[in-house]
Amino acid sequence: MSRGVLDEESFRLCCRLLLQRSEQLRDGWSWKAVQGSEEGYLRKTALRSVVIDPSPARDQEGSGSDSEPRTSCQSCPDQQGREKEESALVASVDTDRVSGAIDDDEDDEDDGVCTVSGGSSQVLQYEYHILHSCSYAAPVLYFRAFTQEGRSLTLEEVWSSVHPSFRLRLQSSPLNTISLQEHPLLGQPFFMLHPCRTEEFMRPVLQAQDQHRPVNYVLSWLSVVGPVVGLDVPLKYSTSPGSSTEPH
Amino acid sequence: MSDNAESPIETQKEESQPPSDDSTANDDKKKIDVLLKAVGDTPIMKTKKWTMDRGRTVQSLSQFISRFLKLDSSEQLFIYVNQSFAPSPDQDVGVLFDCFGSDGKLILHYCKSQAWG
Repeated sequence: MSRGVLDEESFRLCCRLLLQRSEQLRDGWSWKAVQGSEEGYLRKTALRSVVIDPSPARDQEGSGSDSEPRTSCQSCPDQQGREKEESALVASVDTDRVSGAIDDDEDDEDDGVCTVSGGSSQVLQYEYHILHSCSYAAPVLYFRAFTQEGRSLTLEEVWSSVHPSFRLRLQSSPLNTISLQEHPLLGQPFFMLHPCRTEEFMRPVLQAQDQHRPVNYVLSWLSVVGPVVGLDVPLKYSTSPGSSTEPH
Repeated sequence: MSDNAESPIETQKEESQPPSDDSTANDDKKKIDVLLKAVGDTPIMKTKKWTMDRGRTVQSLSQFISRFLKLDSSEQLFIYVNQSFAPSPDQDVGVLFDCFGSDGKLILHYCKSQAWG
């Protein structure tokens, strides 16, 4: 598990540990082996109540004019000056002595988070697979989703059901985020969450770990990517002593 | 959950909390202390210590930090607990504090990166 990458064997070890914990928590993961080999993947199904937003491209109403839309589709022209700008916000205060308060004083606006116009809520059946990618040396999340009538979701519908906190980023490059792929082991069409950024968001986690606090790569990775597609990773995975990779 | 990212930034010279209006009808107005630490090349927030309602979600906090740092839409903010995992966006910070807080505060690391793909 060095250099931010995950080899196949470490992947299987991480999966085994995750599986043990899943069984304790009854979280529903199971290991599916490819016949006649050690290769395999983790699998879980879950029901998910989803609002399919027919117009995913818009920030919802409610963001006031003075509040941010920095996070709308314009890019900030002055990226280099950002750190200087940011320190100007807090003026001349001594860092060590200052704390701030984040209050709910302006409670009236939901910042384009959950309010959706025109979407209807439905219960969908999700199936999640965690595979290992040799080329990325990382785990990859595959999934598919069906309505209760058995209809498979379209790619657009999947994009529309991405958690609101990731939706803006998804929109800037949707096909590089979630696309339809052939499942490497099953050969069936699955949606896939692209692994190319994995090393980037795993790096802080791996750098921070040491032998006293080893990290389960797959678990940490899953905690980041899971919520994007509605997969919840209960906190209890990380509060138990069983979450590390090192056998004691 | 009452999610709100439109919070004003209040900085103070001391660590006392400002009077907050009790307009929220919810039960628990208790606040928690959070220490925000930057990872890697991510801009460091000059104010690192914040108090906030227990009921605030991770997503709301993430939006607050993103705005504070003026991240643009192509940048994703990642938040880590215990430097080992990412809390779900819908998670209440109060619950995180209960599970992972120490010395009366919850330490969260944050990191920005380019968006997926």
